[in-house]
Amino acid sequence: MEGLGINPSMLIAQVINFGILFGLLYLVAYKPFMRMLDERSRRVKESMEQTEYIKQQAAKAEQETEKRIAEAGKKGQKIIDQAVKIGKEVGQKAQEEAKQKAEALITRARTEIRRERDEVISELRKEFAGLTILAAEKVIDRSLDKETHRQIIDQVLKESPGLKKG
Amino acid sequence: MPKRRLLGCSFPVLIGISVVFLVLLVVSFASGPLGAIMFPGVELPSWLSVPQPEPKLPAEAVFHPFGFPITNTMIAAWITMIFVVGLSYAITRRMKLVPGRLQAAFEFLIGWLYDLCREVAGNTDGRKFFPMIATIFLFVGFNAWLGLLPGFGSITVHAAEGEVHLLRPASTDINLPLALALISFVFVEVTALRRLGIGYLRKFFDVREFVSGLRQISKGRLKAGLPQLLTGALNIFTGLLEGFSELVRIVSLTIRLFGNMTAGEVLLLVTAFLVPWVLAVPFYGLELLIGYIQALIFAGLTLIFITFAATPHGEEAH
Repeated sequence: MEGLGINPSMLIAQVINFGILFGLLYLVAYKPFMRMLDERSRRVKESMEQTEYIKQQAAKAEQETEKRIAEAGKKGQKIIDQAVKIGKEVGQKAQEEAKQKAEALITRARTEIRRERDEVISELRKEFAGLTILAAEKVIDRSLDKETHRQIIDQVLKESPGLKKG
Repeated sequence: MPKRRLLGCSFPVLIGISVVFLVLLVVSFASGPLGAIMFPGVELPSWLSVPQPEPKLPAEAVFHPFGFPITNTMIAAWITMIFVVGLSYAITRRMKLVPGRLQAAFEFLIGWLYDLCREVAGNTDGRKFFPMIATIFLFVGFNAWLGLLPGFGSITVHAAEGEVHLLRPASTDINLPLALALISFVFVEVTALRRLGIGYLRKFFDVREFVSGLRQISKGRLKAGLPQLLTGALNIFTGLLEGFSELVRIVSLTIRLFGNMTAGEVLLLVTAFLVPWVLAVPFYGLELLIGYIQALIFAGLTLIFITFAATPHGEEAH
């Protein structure tokens, strides 16, 4: 034993050395290392979970979008159909209205024309009547001979130039 | 056109390095005792030659403060401790989630030991055993590696015992391997006892079969009792062997580490004496490897012992 150099106090000192080393390394190496390891694995787990969640969410969102798009397409089609129908109706109505209006216009124009014609005719008549009366007066006033008769008519015609033209 | 390069150097540089290397080799060879024998006429200045080493097994005391001898191996052990703890502290003081280079290297080494523990002992046990195993590995390994630094075995001081090396690799003093082996032994036994309770001791002293055999015989059933008695005796014997083998582990762990480290140290001293310079370098590489292997063996064996001891075996353990 002496030849090998075994020495109880040295042995105990080395055991203490190891103990100190163990304690210090535990504090400055193993504990931080483990903490870092745990932290990292926690983060990885978390991020993986998050990824999974996001993936699910994305799939859900995609489904939702597809559904919405389909719905919107349907709705749009419906609206278009409706619009076309309404448009047709409106067109028809407009056409009918236009026709009616045109007819009304034509009718009104016709009545107007007729009325005007009648007015003109009645005026003419009145004028004629006046003229006749005038002529009659003249006739009655004088003793008429053929010569005078002629004169009177010419005079009347001369006095009413409107009649001559019309 | 790219320059032609070899081993990362351009040719003129490479040739220069080779020449220096060869000159060193020749001078080194000639200045050693081998050269002196082969070329008796050549005389070189005496500062080139290395004095003949006188390896001693016990560590030499360098100082005697308060009457307590401080050996050179103790100083080396302290240097190792300071180095390892200081390095760890410097790295872990500001640990980042995304490691830098140094932290990555540190984490690689510690992580490798951690994975080793978990592979052998399982996830939960590996985590529990890991600090002890890692400390053994780091202490043994860095003791060996730091012992290769210049200064070890070359700086001498005057002490009571005469001219003494200031530094000597810590594991070349048998007290350190013995201390480690005792710690390893106590660690294994205490953990197993705490884990398996008093039943763990049955592994070393199993009298159940023997007692039940005795009972059978006392009841007069000789035919049933006798074989039981014999198996019981065998159990007691194997238990004793088991206990003996656990004790022998202390010796084998101690001597393996002590022997390897001392042999390595002596080898380095002798090569440094025979061929002081260039030719001694490969042996340093060898010692680097041996330091790693011894650390791995010591830590690995402790890990295996503790894993075996802490696992309940039941009856199939025979």
